[in-house]
Amino acid sequence: MTTQKPESGDSRSDEVIAGEYVLGVLSAEDRRQVEARMATDRNFAAMVVRWQSNLASIDLAYEPVAPPPHVFAAIESRVFESPASTGRSASLWNSLSFWRSLAFASLAAVAVLGISMLELFSAGQGGKPLVAELQGQGNGLGLALVAQFDTGSGRLRVTPVAARQTEEKSLELWLIKGSDPAISLGVLPQSGEGEILVRPAVRSKITEGSTLAVSLEPLGGSPTGSATGPVIALGTTRR
Amino acid sequence: MADKEISALLGRVALADRDAFASLYRQTSPKLFGICVRILKDRGEAEEALQEVYVKIWYRADRFLAGEAAPMSWLAAIARNQAIDRLRARKPVANAIDEAYDLADPALDPERSAMIRSEGRRIEACLEELEADRAEAVRRAYVEGLSYQELAEIFAVPLNTMRTWLRRSLLKLRECMER
Repeated sequence: MTTQKPESGDSRSDEVIAGEYVLGVLSAEDRRQVEARMATDRNFAAMVVRWQSNLASIDLAYEPVAPPPHVFAAIESRVFESPASTGRSASLWNSLSFWRSLAFASLAAVAVLGISMLELFSAGQGGKPLVAELQGQGNGLGLALVAQFDTGSGRLRVTPVAARQTEEKSLELWLIKGSDPAISLGVLPQSGEGEILVRPAVRSKITEGSTLAVSLEPLGGSPTGSATGPVIALGTTRR
Repeated sequence: MADKEISALLGRVALADRDAFASLYRQTSPKLFGICVRILKDRGEAEEALQEVYVKIWYRADRFLAGEAAPMSWLAAIARNQAIDRLRARKPVANAIDEAYDLADPALDPERSAMIRSEGRRIEACLEELEADRAEAVRRAYVEGLSYQELAEIFAVPLNTMRTWLRRSLLKLRECMER
């Protein structure tokens, strides 16, 4: 601020800047500066979020206006006609070595790795299992999972590489096929690792290119049958 | 338009559910378009902004954390930010954050982040504690996306006076909300 020359890091000045940002009075350059700081300074970002929620009741002043129909058509063509951004290009072999390097951190994880690799190789005779790496979506929840689906036995194994989920929540696994509503594959055990026996009716739907996603749900899984919490990991299956 | 329903739709949108996206659009676009129209004061620009808003919602739905923000407020913030960015690009305004002010420094008090909670007092009650013209300036800045310069002209005060008004008002509001 020009008038008060506060010391840097002064939380009163920070509050003012965060508030000015949410009010919208700042210049484009100042807005980018604030957003850059939000990305690196959690406390400052929290101030912005708080102003947003504090001032949100003024939103009542906005009268709804129906947009013309062609706007949604334009949005749909922009969103759905762009190539899927969820596919990941890293090879399975790369993902396993990445996984193994992380697994050394814990003996238990090494054991899990051993079992998984054994299954992976033995499955080679009856057809390779489908594998998907599921990565967090940059929401700070920090979770990466490796999912393997054995087509023959219908066993879907999900192993977390790193999980920091809150205890009173459940992780629910979903199958996404194109634009169909997501199908719940089941709730992961609270230990954060384990297998789900996929319902026979759904097994044939897990094919190469299917998307698997994990959402954070109330304990025991989504009460509605569709995901209610944030998606914390997403990945595409491949051979 | 229950919050719970919007939250559930956002959850499905995060899972790339197109029907949920269409349904979310049907339920929320009049409000978000109203925001774009009010700030941009131009239908054509508002329509373009609304497109940007929903493209962002499609890609960012997974960042919505139910319980941490009200879903409608979260959506409205995306719309306001988009409209204000477009407005500032069209009509640049003077920078207000002092160059000498080091934005890169981490905030002093690490406890502050723990203070995010729903404040007991509503902003309306706190706005009433401000002088009437200052409360009006805060409200109009927020609703219309006005710059300091525009506010100074509307309220017929020098630019620096308007800056002081709003900054002091923000500190008073902060103090009032925490009381």
